[in-house]
Amino acid sequence: MRTLTALLILLACAPAATAADIVITRYEVTLATAADGTGAATVVITLDDAAPGVVTIPLGFAGVKVVTIADGPAGVAASARPVNGQSELRLTLPDGVPSSTRVTVQFAAAGVFQRTEPAPGERRTLPEGVRIFRHAMVNTQPLPIGRYRFTVVFPAALRAHAVRETLPKLRKAEAGPRARLADIGGRPGAWLDVPTLSQGDAASLHIELVPEGRSPVWLIAGLVLCVLYLVYFRDLVSRRAA
Amino acid sequence: MAAHAGTLTQEDRLHELLNMEKMTLSSKVREAQSRTELWMRYLGFPGGLLVFLAVLYLPAGAGLSGAAQAGAACFALALVWWVTEPFPTYVTSLVLMFLLLVTRTAAPKAIMDVLGMEVIWLNLLAFILSAMLVKTRLARRMSLWLVLRFGHTASFALLAFLLLQMLLAPLIPATAARCVMTLPLMLVVAAIYGSTEESPNAFGKNLMLLNLLGISVLSSMTMTGSSANLIAVGLIQTMGGHRVYYMDWVLAGAPVAIATGLIMWVVGQKMLFRIPVAERLPHIQGGLGVIRQKYDEMGPLSQSEKKALAIFGLVLFLWTTDVFHLSWFGVEITAPFAALLGAVIVLFPRWGVLQWAEADIPWHLLIFSAGAYAGGLALDDTGAAEWAVQRLFAGIDLRGVPFGVTYTIIVSVMMYSHLLTTSKTVRTMIMIPIIITMSKALGWDPVSLALPAALCIDWVVGLPISGKPNVVLFATNQYSVMENFRYGMVTCTVGVILLVGSAATWFHWLGITPAFWAVPQ
Repeated sequence: MRTLTALLILLACAPAATAADIVITRYEVTLATAADGTGAATVVITLDDAAPGVVTIPLGFAGVKVVTIADGPAGVAASARPVNGQSELRLTLPDGVPSSTRVTVQFAAAGVFQRTEPAPGERRTLPEGVRIFRHAMVNTQPLPIGRYRFTVVFPAALRAHAVRETLPKLRKAEAGPRARLADIGGRPGAWLDVPTLSQGDAASLHIELVPEGRSPVWLIAGLVLCVLYLVYFRDLVSRRAA
Repeated sequence: MAAHAGTLTQEDRLHELLNMEKMTLSSKVREAQSRTELWMRYLGFPGGLLVFLAVLYLPAGAGLSGAAQAGAACFALALVWWVTEPFPTYVTSLVLMFLLLVTRTAAPKAIMDVLGMEVIWLNLLAFILSAMLVKTRLARRMSLWLVLRFGHTASFALLAFLLLQMLLAPLIPATAARCVMTLPLMLVVAAIYGSTEESPNAFGKNLMLLNLLGISVLSSMTMTGSSANLIAVGLIQTMGGHRVYYMDWVLAGAPVAIATGLIMWVVGQKMLFRIPVAERLPHIQGGLGVIRQKYDEMGPLSQSEKKALAIFGLVLFLWTTDVFHLSWFGVEITAPFAALLGAVIVLFPRWGVLQWAEADIPWHLLIFSAGAYAGGLALDDTGAAEWAVQRLFAGIDLRGVPFGVTYTIIVSVMMYSHLLTTSKTVRTMIMIPIIITMSKALGWDPVSLALPAALCIDWVVGLPISGKPNVVLFATNQYSVMENFRYGMVTCTVGVILLVGSAATWFHWLGITPAFWAVPQ
């Protein structure tokens, strides 16, 4: 009886052991955002030592809808489910899946920009029109992620004012940058690049966006000051003063 | 320095000059030296504003954040105002700090925290130690001795300071400390040669700027000359896969730095600020005889001088033995804390040698430094400096180009890039990885380009805001921003020429660089 129980336990563990052997060598996310706060994401996952079964991969988005497989071996299925305010992608790999596999998944994300309007009774901390983009992904799974690269494309009407935070911080011997603003297909955007994410590691990108174009207030004030100075301080170079 | 010179007789004048306790680092606006300078001041204000507006409203470059663009605009405005001086430099610093806030380039805390940076503390504490040297008259004794021993002519006095800085550079990595400890000597010797704040002459300009060179450039003689050098060594090892040993650095860096110092010693006094024949001897009636008499009158070392010597010796000991602190004390006593310990003893009731009110702390200098650092950090934190460097290198296609051409471009960019930033460390962190990556992409050994580039890290001599000693020496009012710029650019150009010449000869023989005209395979 003991032998049978042990055998059953071993059999039950067998698929999990197989899934645990899978290595995520690359994990690339490209998110194209729209001014209304929605986004279209494309995730390309490269797996090594792939085996049939379910692979759970953290996504980091709060609201994920309409998950489709854009590319990958026949029979691969994908779905997403919310977990602790984030989302997880569940990839079901079919029998006969190649050991080295690349799967491209697409989905729609909602609420990619954070609310910046103050709640009643709160003080405003950011000027009007400012949007906050924050993406955070915690590797909640035992599978280590070989390389994680997150790329975001901003709406044309917005411009990055500052990269407020990136995680993980660069290690001492690591050459940066971890994140950078960039031109992505002719549109403003940014990328975050992390060489490896073990279980529990977090990768995040926090960017403040402002409307394209500057207020003319600086221009007017600057020119007025120039004229006033040239008039009221002209005695500095007058012959009489000299 | 404001010397309250009463000029009854030459002897009285010497006495007045040597009475350093009456001197304070002046916060008053430097008088315009010519009509051109007056016009620069008049047009500098609108000029700075127009540059600010131009940078702020330029179409944004790809990858440049709004904060980086605003930070660059603010820094450009401050740079124009620091150079043209429509306001005192510390007022410009305050304006810069305000602009960084209202353009949302930096957070209020980040701007205010600059005043608590290690460098500001080191400056403050080093000024207390400097005041101790003045109050106890040890600085006076050392200056008189220096002039009597080496200062028979202006030229040899300048050389003596260059040798002094050469001696101190490998011992004390903190450039601000080296500057402040030798500043009292510079001021007295300048005064003996007739250069004061009211009437700075060519000797004073040569003396201050040669010391600036000595303090900054001679740090590149050893890899421990500054912490930025060590960061570069670390990057060359981790990214380039090549370990740079202490002697590798010395053999490459020391000859270039020393040769530049000697060349500028000649070029400075013969070409840039030509010292008239009349100024080549001490400006004291009776000449060295009077100085000898004053030195003899001081008698043996007083009790307070001995105390000052002991305190300074302790601080110096801690500065030079920092690598052993961890094994001795279980903690590293960094340069500011060594100075802090010295300041505690100096100010200690009964046993100390100085009252707080007697310490000549130039707060205007610290505010000037704080503004310069806030602006520099904003350029670095927002990515503006890195963006500019990336753009610069992206615009130059060096594929298939002979090594010597690539080398010359990289060394030149590294050398002059100090004008765009106020931190050697940040400049190193930005530039060296780019150069290593570029070397690999072009097919060159990373060390062949990265090590010579690293030798340029400490050459921060172009502007009064380029480094800590620059700020301190500029406050002596012995030279203008434009004179600093001219001297600094000539120094850097001499350095580039020597480094390029070394690549074709010395560095190649050492195995650092390939043949100068080699083409990548």
